[in-house]
Amino acid sequence: MDTATTLLAQLEGNIATVGYGIAAIGPAIGVGIIVGKTIESMARQPEMSGRLMITMFIGIAFTEALAFIGIATYFFMV
Amino acid sequence: MNIKSILQRILVWTAVLAVVVAVVGGVVGFIIGGMPGLWGAVMGTVLALLFGALTALSLMLAINVSKGNMISGAFFGIVLGGWLLKFIVFIALIFVVRDLDWVNPIAAFISIVVAIVGSLAVDMTVIIKARQPIIDEEPVDESTWGRPSSRN
Repeated sequence: MDTATTLLAQLEGNIATVGYGIAAIGPAIGVGIIVGKTIESMARQPEMSGRLMITMFIGIAFTEALAFIGIATYFFMV
Repeated sequence: MNIKSILQRILVWTAVLAVVVAVVGGVVGFIIGGMPGLWGAVMGTVLALLFGALTALSLMLAINVSKGNMISGAFFGIVLGGWLLKFIVFIALIFVVRDLDWVNPIAAFISIVVAIVGSLAVDMTVIIKARQPIIDEEPVDESTWGRPSSRN
């Protein structure tokens, strides 16, 4: 029992790597949704492509801001 | 105001923001951490704003390459491929910068966060102030304001 408990609790390396992984999941899902929805909207109303493009740019900028901060946190603060 | 001019204005104001954050962060970093603080703030600002501006640059390139046809593989390939490449290079660079002795990591981190939040504010301000028409069409000929020249 003791051995099993020890093995389960054993962790080597840096746990912050998991933080980077989680920081990468969010932006990937976010950008996927943003771009997918923009394509869908453009297919419905191609004449609004310009406005949709700028809205997509804002969405990507906000999403990648989180990713940059997450990655920088992992590399600099750990 | 069409997409290209909005993106150009965003790039110009991002460059202004980069100078401001680098100078202010550099001075504060120098006061607190000496030369490593100064270099940390400058490196953080350059990294954050260079990679932030690459989104706007990739959009401009994609519009040029796809010749305005936004529902195309080339357009989204360039925008999303640029995004992926940017993150790979960002991670590689930040990995190098972290291990440099002459860079203060905390100053770099704080300046990255400030620069990114500032660039979001710049993007939002430019886009809110831009009077973009719902239907974005460039005039056929700027000298005739879009009217066919035979009617003049």
